[in-house]
Amino acid sequence: MNKIWPIILIAGLTTLLFIQPSAALDAMVKGSHDAVALCIRLAALYALWMGFLSLLEKTGIAAKLAKVLKPLVRFLFPSASEDSNKFITMNMSANMLGLGNAATPMAIKAVKSMDDKSGRATINMIMLVVISSTSLQFLPSTVIGLRATHGSQNPADFMGAGIIATVVSTIVGVALVKIYAFFRKKREKKNAAKNAKLPLQRT
Amino acid sequence: MTVISSYIIPVIFLTVLIASMVKKKNAYNAFIDGSRSAIDLIVGAFPYLITIMLAVEVFRRSGAAGVVADFISPAMRIFGIPKELAELMLIRPLSGAGALGVLENIYATYGADTYIGRSASVVYGSSETVFYISTIYFSQTNIKKLGPAIPFALLSTFIGCVVGCFCLRFF
Repeated sequence: MNKIWPIILIAGLTTLLFIQPSAALDAMVKGSHDAVALCIRLAALYALWMGFLSLLEKTGIAAKLAKVLKPLVRFLFPSASEDSNKFITMNMSANMLGLGNAATPMAIKAVKSMDDKSGRATINMIMLVVISSTSLQFLPSTVIGLRATHGSQNPADFMGAGIIATVVSTIVGVALVKIYAFFRKKREKKNAAKNAKLPLQRT
Repeated sequence: MTVISSYIIPVIFLTVLIASMVKKKNAYNAFIDGSRSAIDLIVGAFPYLITIMLAVEVFRRSGAAGVVADFISPAMRIFGIPKELAELMLIRPLSGAGALGVLENIYATYGADTYIGRSASVVYGSSETVFYISTIYFSQTNIKKLGPAIPFALLSTFIGCVVGCFCLRFF
């Protein structure tokens, strides 16, 4: 993010400098305004879904759901704790139902429970970001609605290709993270071995 | 499909509420405990949101996405992606609202039922605001190094979209 953020801002500001310099401050203020408005809207939605999540936990339904999806979660997120497991399961279920606003707070909790205080994202966290980004959307109602207003004969006829696209992206994403995990573990093992061999140089 | 999906939420809520009654758990207290933590999440996410949304708004307003799309369109043509789609793919991971504007533009210019219109639908419908997700997910931790999370998410979405658009030729 430390590289991407300045690039986005520099690209935007440079273009504005040539076409409309007066809009620069205006755009930044509007972006901040939008963020505040979004926070207020999200506060309401998160309160609703966090409350519901806590109900799921108290009734034991969360644990049961986690048990049902355990084989899948174990494959995608090896060595995740019981707690993380539960949040991940909830996140994936919410994503599949198309409840993005319910999925996000559960993912935040999942990432927090996986934090190893190293300041570095673990493989499981990267997997969660990739899965959420490529997750299956069964009903992209926004697009269908917009196509209908633009006079489409059959507004949902792209769904077949859309489902193929999400399935492919999910498979590619999972494969990428798995390959990365393989090499990262190998490297870490090597480093650990090196450190064990040269105890003097470590200080 | 829409009829069925509108039943999902009330049915799920009812099931959970009835389960809490049967198991004699305090549903009211549990709900309050959960919603209390929402404020922490929002307070944690706020600085991240404002930082990213400020930059994205400048980027969107400036039309830089269009300029970059012009620049890379020769390369995109190899994948069979027209210039307007390139712009949509650029803005989609940054801003949902911005991407919706580009999508509407494509429908208005080319028509919703053309190949470009349908490809744009696939691109919008099967991708996510990756930067927003990856920023907000880590907002409750001190993690600064995201590793390859964002590149992987973008690359796999891109490959999915290319394959999806390719499939459109046969549907």
